[in-house]
Amino acid sequence: MRRRTLIAGLAVGTAAALAVAPPLAPQAQAAKDSVVIAWQVDPQTWDPNKRTVPVRQSLYKMVYDQLLTQAPDIKLEASLATKWSQSADGKTVTLDIRDNAYWHDGTKVTSADVKYTFLERGKAGHKIDLVRIWRNVADIETPTPTRAVIKLSKPMATAIPWLAFLANFVVPKHHVEKVGADGFADKPMGSGPYKVVDYQRNSRIVLEAFDKYWGPKPKIRKVTILIMKDPSARVAAVQSGRVDFAPDVPIREVGRLDKMAALSGRIFPISRVILLQIRSDKAFADKNVRLAAHHAINKKAISQALYAGKAVPLSIVAPPGTPGYVEDFEFPYDPAKSKALLAKSGFSTDKPLKIGMASFNGNFPGDYDIARAIVSMWKKVGIEANLQVIEYSKYFELNRGNKLPEATLYSWDNAVGDPEMFTGYLMHPKLPFSAWKDMDVGGRVMKLFGVVDYDKRIQGYKDVAVYASKQGAVMPLLQSVITWVHKSDLQVVQYNNGWALPQTWSWK
Amino acid sequence: MSGEILGIVLRRIAVAIPLMLLVSILVFIVLRLIPADPVAMSMPPNATNEDIEALRREMGLHLPVMHQYAIWLGHILEGDLGRSIAFGQPVFKLIGQSLPATIELAVLGALFATAIGLPGGILLFRLRGRPSEQAVDVGSTLMMSIPEFLWALFLILVFGVAFNLLPFAGRLPPDMTIPRVTGFLLLDCLLTGDLTAFLEAIRHMLLPALALALGTVPLIMRLLRSSLLDVIGEDYVTMARLRGVPERRVINRHALRNALLPTLSLMGVQFGFLFGGTLLVEVIYSYPGLGNLMVEAVRNTDLPIIQGAALVFALAVLTINLAVDVVYIVVNPKLRRAR
Repeated sequence: MRRRTLIAGLAVGTAAALAVAPPLAPQAQAAKDSVVIAWQVDPQTWDPNKRTVPVRQSLYKMVYDQLLTQAPDIKLEASLATKWSQSADGKTVTLDIRDNAYWHDGTKVTSADVKYTFLERGKAGHKIDLVRIWRNVADIETPTPTRAVIKLSKPMATAIPWLAFLANFVVPKHHVEKVGADGFADKPMGSGPYKVVDYQRNSRIVLEAFDKYWGPKPKIRKVTILIMKDPSARVAAVQSGRVDFAPDVPIREVGRLDKMAALSGRIFPISRVILLQIRSDKAFADKNVRLAAHHAINKKAISQALYAGKAVPLSIVAPPGTPGYVEDFEFPYDPAKSKALLAKSGFSTDKPLKIGMASFNGNFPGDYDIARAIVSMWKKVGIEANLQVIEYSKYFELNRGNKLPEATLYSWDNAVGDPEMFTGYLMHPKLPFSAWKDMDVGGRVMKLFGVVDYDKRIQGYKDVAVYASKQGAVMPLLQSVITWVHKSDLQVVQYNNGWALPQTWSWK
Repeated sequence: MSGEILGIVLRRIAVAIPLMLLVSILVFIVLRLIPADPVAMSMPPNATNEDIEALRREMGLHLPVMHQYAIWLGHILEGDLGRSIAFGQPVFKLIGQSLPATIELAVLGALFATAIGLPGGILLFRLRGRPSEQAVDVGSTLMMSIPEFLWALFLILVFGVAFNLLPFAGRLPPDMTIPRVTGFLLLDCLLTGDLTAFLEAIRHMLLPALALALGTVPLIMRLLRSSLLDVIGEDYVTMARLRGVPERRVINRHALRNALLPTLSLMGVQFGFLFGGTLLVEVIYSYPGLGNLMVEAVRNTDLPIIQGAALVFALAVLTINLAVDVVYIVVNPKLRRAR
């Protein structure tokens, strides 16, 4: 045989062998105490206090503990803290820390770790978001290893829900001090149900169950998370059986995959809202016009067309199942009323009102399609919207410079469901996430930031949320949905805030 | 000859320094002209405008652009590319961790492109004037017009889903881990003596490398055919034929050597593009390389990473071009004399 032919033959043979040979490693489905997940984002950092990105919270919940956690119906529950209370003046939070929680190196979790996390890290100059969230912490007393008392310089009405919210994970003082803040981001150590065995940025995370975990022992002992940012790749991975669970799958694919015997697809609403943020000036300075724009939007039709009807139409910025939700208020879809209101202000389909509108394209599922649907609905009543696609980072630049158009399509995540995190942050005219700057609604919201009494505060937010909708200060559209596709024999627990936590899963 | 090559390398480096400086200025200024606020988007929901302003100042974003650039350049000269906004880690470290995977993938992609493109070019040449030439030509046009990310998805659907033959996520199977020694996975597998992991790593690289290569293959094929058509009428080819050398040998031994020179030049340029093509391919295949990092950085408007990665990409292209020049001179004696 000639040398060239031999080399070519060998090359082709090797390639063919590699292609047709069965995988050398066992497939995920073979083991019933492990799971392979196709996750849509990389954690970016293993320092859970660093950033407040909602989609990464599930990853942190696997490795770290919060002082409080949430049940599947998102009600607050004990976690590292077994008891908690806030003083009537809102300036003292007292926490009893459990005495059976351990870090992954076997050391006990104590109140010193709580003090380190919420106070000393900031003083040590660590660049973490937690410092900004708890900017008013004056001191944390630790009279015993199981008691922490947070002293605030100003009342913080939402101190308790914040303990279960973004970035509020307790970190090990001894470990972070030993490896430094940068080292901690690479060498995570938590007290959660899993410890990190391997992490390759933007590619893979391997977790193993922590035997000394204080809570229920996970039935899934090993979790492999493949970072698959591309939705088509996630679909292919779950369809081919290479992964057991894939979140954030395109809606149309969920229906298709659900028809396969080995797979189950879910589309369910979570504590996230899709809304139109409104300016209080320019063409929307006229209340009639704002209300007309809101009445012209057929939210149910949008839900049917884009979210298989699973996205719940909203009338206020609080979804069902959250404390600030108001059941008996509805802002109706009423194109005739919309036309009448526009006519009062001198506009019609022949003489349309011209406004600007901004939307993302790909920031959350269906965003641009919703925007186009609204533009089309508005056109029918006499509102001509010039739709502009913006990047997420541009949104902040425009909002900071007060340059957003009249309406901006936005999605707001709120895992704990507290109304301050909905109406409060979105309508407080002095906060960076608010587009509405008028003080009539804004002033009512600002007052609520100082109300510590829970019942009064929640009622206050219910009232102001309804008032804001009636004033056209905001146009709540839909309760957002998320999608999961997983193997039919994998039992997954559905959290109403969208968490996907393998520590609660099992195989049938 | 080594003296000549050294001279070329030094000349190229002398040109590369101002070029890199120009690239750095362009990247820095263009990024500052984009209306985006990377600080506000990374803030917690209860952040105040004062928090945002304080962080902007801390990051120096309140300073005039050229002042910011001067500070950044000063830090680069000290080997510091800054800190990532999203990852909170030194950019140098992040790039250092990601670059080996990209180099590995791009090299394998280039090998695939060469391995398919060169025989393909010869085949195309041999088919000249026959009806099948048109079919191959149409096929190559189709291949060329499909971008890398579409190839990536197509290959996943065919080999990953329909036939379920090859893996398409990450670099190793879920239950396999190799300690990081150099960051070059294939090398690390060999250094740790794990042949099973080595084969698995190759299996995991096949589809992404092929996705990168397929867009380049038609270019190599067409240029090689065209070069062969140019040289086939040369006197030395005619002489070889007159001597009774078989046609296959005439092409492979005499015509191909000269026809390869422009193809080699193209392959060098294309390798630079291949490097750039890793961006989306790495995202689709969960490949932990520089392209994946860059896409993440762009999504987060993480200016320090984008700037650092852009410099690395530019440096990679310059290095590849230099390497191609050197190879070109080594294989073409005429060029040595001309210079």
